[in-house]
Amino acid sequence: MSPTDERNTLPTREHEPVNRGPAPAALRPSPARAAEVTGWKAYGGTLLIVAGCTAIAALMDRHFDPANLTMIYLLGVVVSAIAFGRGPAVLAAVLSVAVFDFAFVPPRFTLRVSDTQYLVTFGVMLVVAIVIGTLTAWLREQRAWAALREQRTAELHRLSRDLQMQAETERTRSALLSSVSHDLRTPLAAITGAATSLRDGSRTLSEATREELADTIAEEALRLNRLIGNLLDMTRLESGTLSPRKEWYSLEEVVGAALSRLEPALQDRVVRSNLPDDLPLVPLDGVLFEQVVWNLVENASKYTPAGGSIDISAGFHGGELRFDVADRGPGIGPGDERRLFEKFYRGANASGLPGVGLGLSICEAIVRAHGGTIEAANRAGGGAVFTVWLPLEGVPAAAPARLPEEEPARIGT
Amino acid sequence: MSGPALQTAPTAVLLIEDEAPIRKFLRAALEGQGYTVVETATGQDGLTQAAMRVPDLVLLDLGLPDVDGFEIVRRIREWSGLPIIVLTARGQDGDKVRALDAGADDYVTKPFSMPELLARMRVALRHRAQAAADNGNGVIEIDRLRMDLAGHEVTLGGAEVQLTPIEFRLLATLARYAGRVLTHDFLLREVWGPSAVGQHHYLRVYMAQLRRKIEPDPARPRFLLTELGVGYRLKDG
Repeated sequence: MSPTDERNTLPTREHEPVNRGPAPAALRPSPARAAEVTGWKAYGGTLLIVAGCTAIAALMDRHFDPANLTMIYLLGVVVSAIAFGRGPAVLAAVLSVAVFDFAFVPPRFTLRVSDTQYLVTFGVMLVVAIVIGTLTAWLREQRAWAALREQRTAELHRLSRDLQMQAETERTRSALLSSVSHDLRTPLAAITGAATSLRDGSRTLSEATREELADTIAEEALRLNRLIGNLLDMTRLESGTLSPRKEWYSLEEVVGAALSRLEPALQDRVVRSNLPDDLPLVPLDGVLFEQVVWNLVENASKYTPAGGSIDISAGFHGGELRFDVADRGPGIGPGDERRLFEKFYRGANASGLPGVGLGLSICEAIVRAHGGTIEAANRAGGGAVFTVWLPLEGVPAAAPARLPEEEPARIGT
Repeated sequence: MSGPALQTAPTAVLLIEDEAPIRKFLRAALEGQGYTVVETATGQDGLTQAAMRVPDLVLLDLGLPDVDGFEIVRRIREWSGLPIIVLTARGQDGDKVRALDAGADDYVTKPFSMPELLARMRVALRHRAQAAADNGNGVIEIDRLRMDLAGHEVTLGGAEVQLTPIEFRLLATLARYAGRVLTHDFLLREVWGPSAVGQHHYLRVYMAQLRRKIEPDPARPRFLLTELGVGYRLKDG
């Protein structure tokens, strides 16, 4: 890894001085330093350790040879090195040598040395102190760097995961785009073809052909409009900018509006709606819920042969409104019950039928925005049934049954 | 405003729309139907043209870049009752209702079909003519539904339909403006009075009752049409 890479992921870089980027070497001590007990505390601690060693050595002095007492001081040096780092360790070594010489090496209570052997002892103690101090300091740095590396690895891992997710979104988006652009182009191709035929062949085409071409243009333009509407709704529902404006609605009215808008697409399929007369008003966004009804019935009609029937029913169960749209088509493929509501997913039986796989996703998004649920199942006796559950809360204020002023005398004036 | 003396002159339409392709096809289609068309791309110019030329009808796009369409309706209504039909985009329910409540006669949502627009225009022009003749309390017949507003009598296929006073007042209001969309608040004000404005569910209850009495299949109304998010419309006779 190059030094610049290190800089980019170094967690302490926010605290770096602003002046000109520091040299890579300058970065190295920073993590170790951060973990160290610094300043006078470390050196004070070292003094205490040496004093402690001297006390132990004084107790042992009567029974042991002075050379053995150096071991106690060595231990003190090692402890200082581990606890406080290289500087305090060297201080501990120098102090130990001095105190040991002064207190235990004959002639006692002078810094003079009678036996030159002790000079070797002093030398070894100093070297050991420096080596151990350096080693521990190095170990501490390693530990700090290891922690840093671990952090960096975690960061890299996160980054790669983010990148992967991004790539996945990108893939979905391009799949979406290619699917959508195909579905946008098909009606556009039909419209362009029909319109240019009409323009160039106004004399040669028969009346019937001209009418057929004009119908094609109108129908395909409507299809295009629906697709764009669906895409727009989906985007707005997902971004949360399309939130339901609930009012007390009569389900019958919302179903009626959807059916009248669907009329041309239904052709000679029969819609049998079985809505109980005593169905109370339901709190919903009429414009959005009409979309749900429209999409469910339109979906059912795609799987219903000419002359076949689609059944709409509703009822109350446990404080919830249940709304069903059922057909006698091929039903739902195994495992498709949930997937049908995924965006751009098209059921196993959908091949050859127009559509992009957005209608049911929109239904689900709208129903969920109402606090309800939607589910798909196979219908007893064949076909599919889509069920919407909507929660009901409260009752609307009753309309005044009497007119405010005079009775209908006002009418006709 | 066009008086009886101008009846032989072609109906003049002022088209205020910023999108050139829409202006182009509307001009072609309207002229093909015998209308004369004056077009303008901005709201400011539209207001000037409306005052200068006094057309028989205004087609107004609600999505103009310079002036809010609602503002144009309001300013025209300050001095004239000439029919205004607004052209809206999908998802502009709120704007549409505002424009209607400000006095626009009706609306079509883009993309609209030409027969749909022509039908709206005919209804708006007819209502202006009726208003001028102070006529609108007579007998209205739509298919098998016959409403005698002065006589308080409603029959369906010859059989009398029993209506409560509120139901009758609601149906009579819709009938007086047959073919025209009426917003929820307009209907509430007409039937229950100003204090009922905003109580849209009153209408839902009474429309359901009315439909049960006059519609063969209340779930697929033939007469009492719903304009979701906007209001109601009685089918044009």
